[in-house]
Amino acid sequence: MSGINITELDKVYDSGTENVVAVESLSVDIDHGEFLVLVGPSGCGKSTTLRCLAGLEDATAGTIRFDGEDVTEYRASERDVAMVFQNYALYPHMTVRGNIGFGLKLSTKLTGDEIEAKVEDVAEMLGIRELLDEKPKALSGGQQQRVALGRAIVREPSVFLMDEPLSNLDAKLRSEMRTELQELQADLDVTTVYVTHDQTEAMAMGDRIAVMDGGVLQQVGSPEEVYRSPVNRFVADFIGSPSINLLTADVEDGTLAGPGGFAYELDGSEPVDGHERVSVGVRPEDIEVVESGRNAADVTVVEPMGNENFLYMEIGGHELTARVSPTVRPAEGSQVAFDFDEAALYLFDVETGDALKTKTDSVDSAVVGTTQN
Amino acid sequence: MATSDETNDRVEQTYRRRARARIQSVGRRLRRAARPGWDRVRFARQDLTAAMPALPRVAYLFIAPFFVLFGLFLAFPVFYTLYLSFFEYQGVGEGSLFWIDLGPLYVEIPQIAQLNFVGLGNYARLLGNDLFWQSMFNTSYILAVQVPLMIGLALALALALNASFMRLKGVFRTAIALPVSANLVAYSTVFLLLFNEQLGFLNYVLSGVGLGPIPWLTSEFWARNTIIAAVTWRWTGYNMIILLAGLQTIPQQLYEAAEIDGANRWEKFRYVTLPQLKPVLLFVVVLSTIGTFKLFAEPYVITGGGPTNATITIVQYIYRQAFVNFNLGYASALTVVFVVVVSIFSIIQIKLGGED
Repeated sequence: MSGINITELDKVYDSGTENVVAVESLSVDIDHGEFLVLVGPSGCGKSTTLRCLAGLEDATAGTIRFDGEDVTEYRASERDVAMVFQNYALYPHMTVRGNIGFGLKLSTKLTGDEIEAKVEDVAEMLGIRELLDEKPKALSGGQQQRVALGRAIVREPSVFLMDEPLSNLDAKLRSEMRTELQELQADLDVTTVYVTHDQTEAMAMGDRIAVMDGGVLQQVGSPEEVYRSPVNRFVADFIGSPSINLLTADVEDGTLAGPGGFAYELDGSEPVDGHERVSVGVRPEDIEVVESGRNAADVTVVEPMGNENFLYMEIGGHELTARVSPTVRPAEGSQVAFDFDEAALYLFDVETGDALKTKTDSVDSAVVGTTQN
Repeated sequence: MATSDETNDRVEQTYRRRARARIQSVGRRLRRAARPGWDRVRFARQDLTAAMPALPRVAYLFIAPFFVLFGLFLAFPVFYTLYLSFFEYQGVGEGSLFWIDLGPLYVEIPQIAQLNFVGLGNYARLLGNDLFWQSMFNTSYILAVQVPLMIGLALALALALNASFMRLKGVFRTAIALPVSANLVAYSTVFLLLFNEQLGFLNYVLSGVGLGPIPWLTSEFWARNTIIAAVTWRWTGYNMIILLAGLQTIPQQLYEAAEIDGANRWEKFRYVTLPQLKPVLLFVVVLSTIGTFKLFAEPYVITGGGPTNATITIVQYIYRQAFVNFNLGYASALTVVFVVVVSIFSIIQIKLGGED
């Protein structure tokens, strides 16, 4: 078990004619036993960062420390890490037993019997004992996923690295494995870095989330923190599903004036002082449909989910999404008035995207309690 | 969390639905802008297709050319060879085998050859023939040295060309694979000149560095090696290309997984490359074995089978019997034995190499 310190990590790919910067001066400290999720759109450098941690890519600059020890120049095999790949990368010609035991066979002085015993234990733990003599080809995606996990677990590494390990599974299995992985990680108490492009997965699994974009780390924080207090528009837009509604509005005497006659009067105008235009963000669940109000939008689609309804609306050519109670069900094509609390409002600088104001509404303490555990 | 997942999926579906509608509308616009000339051609073709009468079983007519050619030039000779191996050939046939009189159309199949039935006589004869055994030994010797040497070399070259640090891959690949396009007789002649004992380039170089001339063509041992060198030169590149293609299908992630599992360079080769390459390797080994077993042109041109029959191969022996001595029956028996031996070799290799 070890903590990880990444300091000013750069990774530049030199294609001969041009340099492609994949990761730019990324610094993050990961605690012992922490579950950190690297999340971002494809091409944001999250996988490259993970591969640098694994030792599969050489860092162009910066240092990586495991438990204080500088491992930047170490080969993958010297770092005591285990990695789970997106497509599992099981050895097709070996049985499950061979696959799980392979690392031990190569990198430890354990006897054949000891390896056998460890493999059996891990297989038992993952519920794949009866599959030990099968070849990967004969297994389902979920079973292969377990074998890939087993291969990582059996080595008792100091760090787990996971590169989108659940993205090849179907939705139901994915959410099952998600829970299982979390439990496993908590039991083993091994520092884990987990890469995903799926923000739901990141929110659900991470102790902390590191959001990346364009090779640059945007924000590191608890799921709650990045959701409620994003540092910029990108993080606000990326985290949360359905995505936050974003509009550009003019600031006129403490009032926000947007497209389609959108107007919102601010009680506290400090955040927008000195700005002529701002980006306005409202989460879909913060939009309320009201009897009458200043703002109105045309309903284009209503999607009943059973426990809630999604309203897709249009205001001045902009799409707005609202997540409302199942009892609110306006006719498609009708116009509805909507409103939201100022406390739920996000404001961003139009040019830089930096956050000027984020959610300030109070949080139900019970909710906070569960997300922090 | 399951419900929120499902919610996400539904949201995604909505997005997809909208994206699809957008794509369709773009598609419609593009289609309207399509060139009318091409459309006319397409419409004409469609009309023609619709106007054609639908003939039942017309497909058989379309595939018939293959079966006619195959039957005439492959199936018939194969069975006729087997048939011939039980006879002694006495000369070109006279008279007709059978004829059909269809009034205006008179079809006559002439007798192919005059044959004298000898039963298994040809087979008994070859088993007692020293030159047959000599040619079998020569062929096996060349095979045993040449195939492992060539495949080892081809694999080494393929690995080198597949390595990430390698520059100018395309140039090397083409250069190494080029010999396969060489004309058999032409390249054999070049080897004959290179390995000439008095005037050859090789002995000139060797004497230049103080080594005595090597009897490339007159010593039994060296003559076989000369043949081996020639065949290896011609076919290594070809096999390398196949192996290289095989190497490139091995997923990079397997090497990364092995790297993380603590494998060094050799272990990666041993536990990832070799097992992953096994089907391709097997293909190359079987093909090379058959190819080398059929060796003919090189010894025919370079050594003429000499010295003292040290390089005469089985096919060369068959050729001599068939087309020099006109022992067609005996040559057919030799051919049958040759095919059986090659088949046994291939079956053993496939049994040993391919359990998957």
